[in-house]
Amino acid sequence: MPSIPGREERILLLLSIFIGVISGLLVVSFRMAIEWLNVLLLGSSLGPRQLRLLIVPTMVGLVVAALTRFAFPEVRGSGINQTKAAMYIHNGYISFRTVCGKFLLSALAIGGGHSLGPEDPSLQIGAGVASAISRRLQLSKARMRIFAPVGAAAGLAAAFNAPISAILFVIEEVIGQWSADVLGSIVLATIASVVVARWFWGAEPMFRVPAVNLRDPRELLAYAVLGIFGGVASLAFSKSLEYLRPKLKSASASWQMLQPAVAGFLVGCIGYFGLPQVMGAGYDVIDQAMHAQFAWKMLMVLAIFKIIATTLSFSSGTPGGMFAPTLFIGAMLGASVGSFEKLFFPHLTGSVGSYALVGMGVLFAAFLRAPFTSVFMVMEVSGNYSIVVPVILANAIAYLISRSLQPVPIFEVLTHEDGLYLPSMEEQREERDLHLEDALKPIVAPVLQGSETISNAMRSLVDYGEIQSSSPILIHCRDGLWYTATKEELDRLSSEASADHGNFRDVSLDEKLGAERTPLLFPDLPLSSALPHFRRWRLLPVTHRALRGALEGAVTLQDVLQRYQQH
Amino acid sequence: MADSFTKSSTTRKLIVRDSITFLSLATITIVLFVVTLFLFRSFQEHRAELAVRWSDRGLTALRQNRPEQAITCYRTALSYAPGEWNYELSLAEALARANRTEEAYNYFIGLREIRPGDGFINLQLAHLAASKQDVQAAVNFYRASIYGDWEGDGAKRRREVRLELARYLIEQKRPEMAKTELLVVGGNAPDDPNLDATLGHMLEQAAAPSEAMDFFQRALTVQPDNPVVLSQAGRLAYRLGDYKAAVSLLERSAEARSGDEKNAGILAKARRILQLIPSELLPSHERVDRILTDRTIAKARWNTCSSSTHAGASQSSLQTLAARWMGPDATTSRSALLHDSDKQRSALQLIYDTEIQTRQFCGAPTGDDELLLRLAQDNAAKGGSH
Repeated sequence: MPSIPGREERILLLLSIFIGVISGLLVVSFRMAIEWLNVLLLGSSLGPRQLRLLIVPTMVGLVVAALTRFAFPEVRGSGINQTKAAMYIHNGYISFRTVCGKFLLSALAIGGGHSLGPEDPSLQIGAGVASAISRRLQLSKARMRIFAPVGAAAGLAAAFNAPISAILFVIEEVIGQWSADVLGSIVLATIASVVVARWFWGAEPMFRVPAVNLRDPRELLAYAVLGIFGGVASLAFSKSLEYLRPKLKSASASWQMLQPAVAGFLVGCIGYFGLPQVMGAGYDVIDQAMHAQFAWKMLMVLAIFKIIATTLSFSSGTPGGMFAPTLFIGAMLGASVGSFEKLFFPHLTGSVGSYALVGMGVLFAAFLRAPFTSVFMVMEVSGNYSIVVPVILANAIAYLISRSLQPVPIFEVLTHEDGLYLPSMEEQREERDLHLEDALKPIVAPVLQGSETISNAMRSLVDYGEIQSSSPILIHCRDGLWYTATKEELDRLSSEASADHGNFRDVSLDEKLGAERTPLLFPDLPLSSALPHFRRWRLLPVTHRALRGALEGAVTLQDVLQRYQQH
Repeated sequence: MADSFTKSSTTRKLIVRDSITFLSLATITIVLFVVTLFLFRSFQEHRAELAVRWSDRGLTALRQNRPEQAITCYRTALSYAPGEWNYELSLAEALARANRTEEAYNYFIGLREIRPGDGFINLQLAHLAASKQDVQAAVNFYRASIYGDWEGDGAKRRREVRLELARYLIEQKRPEMAKTELLVVGGNAPDDPNLDATLGHMLEQAAAPSEAMDFFQRALTVQPDNPVVLSQAGRLAYRLGDYKAAVSLLERSAEARSGDEKNAGILAKARRILQLIPSELLPSHERVDRILTDRTIAKARWNTCSSSTHAGASQSSLQTLAARWMGPDATTSRSALLHDSDKQRSALQLIYDTEIQTRQFCGAPTGDDELLLRLAQDNAAKGGSH
């Protein structure tokens, strides 16, 4: 059906609100489903030595594997890569069946005790809602591609109760760039979904964080140590996933069917033999760690076993997210460092809760490789701004360690394992754009003053020796701008002036050149900005931004192309 | 013309289709909202029920002195009702009762950050700091508790906490600080003989016997026949060397509640001391009689002690004492004593020195010697006068 010009733009913002509200409602239902299932399947109080800790995750694993195999084949994984794949490969298409499957199977897996989280599936559910709505409205492929991240941001915001972090994460990890046409929709959808989520769950921050005070700057050393621990832990987590997941994926189909059950059993064993805290998303355990309810050794043990449990659950193909486990591990590490500090350096004032909070940000930055989001996430989920300095310090250290020891981010590793090659947001961020200054060459062409008469200018040219007719000559006009002429052009002007006036000595060069000038280019402009002008000009002068007309150098098409080839 | 018609027809169709779609979306949203709301209410009710159920179990476990179980119960309750203040307090209390001092301390610290002026939380922190041997922190938390908010009878709770602080300070051998706290309590306290008795008892422990006696007297003004206070005051009077008051108070105590053997023993000693004491207020002949009686007792003690001590191992002080027992102070006659107060003092000094030094070499005395030793110590404390 032919479209009306401007129709999509007009309905886009309204649709964004619908996407936000519906995503918010679905995410609220999703969280409810997880908690209901958790109580129904594992009982209202988890404790070690309960036989159901072994039975339930195993049985859930079997059911999830069967449904994944026969009913919802697209629901494996966390949901982030699937959303990116939908955007970059499938024109924003996420089937409704996938949304239903993600909702049901993730809720079952997380509620049944698998060590996974609800945020990434929420992101995919939101993206799926957006995709379904945009399909229903028969929007263009370009719009459908944009709508997937809009829904993703809405889903994530509702799950996290953190709109800014959700927007940043989608921009940082899914879209990869700030784009004005999609930003408005993302913001609207996110706000709508968060309003819905808060209407149900309340406006309280996700975690109740004790007051954070950084009274002693020496305490930053402890946060730096936490950053190092976080970097190493994220590396261990990534490496274990990188090792186990392809091994399990390459197994036979029948063995793959059993993998979620075996993973469930092993996770259940961890719970049965003393650490039921690692089962499920573990938000209540994060809360307990923040309120210093565990000793530092126990916290360290919980962090290690959570890495093991999540690696098992995720690598087995059980649908569920990585956000919550990442936050869990970070919180345990942070609280452990904080408790250790309290024990051995009691004069330092930082609370265990603040260390747990920073730890969450540290793992988020190092493991998920979203450093910008991690800082805002910590502030948003805690409602606390005073933590920003330790967060930035620790996150930066962890991120640098993780980047240097594991150059390819884990989500990218996972997509490569799945045979997909999606754009790497981290590489895009790190990519350095070339600027004119990178191709800039010293001026070797003759330079004439536009105020000179043509006869004088022609005489000046003689001083430069033999000049080919096609060679560029720079003319500095009296208005401060430049004109790139050729020898041939000047010769032509000279003869024209002679014919017109009889006595050409009185006509100045820039007068004869007319109003046209070479474009104003500065050294910091993108290299590509010069390209359109080479059709008209052979040589482009590059001038100083502050000193009008002062030459910094010049570029030719050849210089620009050579620089691109070196890049 | 045909193109224009087709275009407007297409536009109409699109507008109708978009309107229907938005209407459908609005309907879906409303239906989804209602369903979610219904499920959410049911979900919340169930969570609230679970929270109450687990907190009840926690309370039962606490009452049955099973704090570990209570911890699990309250943690579960809190997972269904996060931030519920009463559950938080109970969990912290359970942690403390389970001797998980560090966890309980941290938990209460977390709660204190929410309500820094809460008297109960500060008191619990004081207990935990005390069990961690962090005296300064304990004192600070006690003070914060005293000046904190209390539900119900705040004045009474603050007084109790101050008394507890004083008790803690006495335990920590800081009697001066304890005395200050106790005097503050006494200054603000209502007329309550039991409280006065408690203050008296504690002031006595805080090495403030005269202030203690004042509070005992205050208590006895209201309850003159309170046997416990009479007994405590009598004993204190005995310890203070006020044997007349001791006899009087202990006799009244015995009248009010007979059968207290310990009191009876002290009473007997006090009475005997009153018979032995050579007070300067006594008539001269009676004072001299008592000096002579006391000298006879001391002489017997000296004889026993000197015979049991090896001569070779004798200390110079004993040798000096032996020489004094051979000298005039040991034999001054009654009439000589009656006319010479210096001789009375010399004879008395010999008696007291004998009791003090024989204790060092021959062990603690008993009977009248014990009482004479007490008089000797009183005499030394008072600078040589009775």
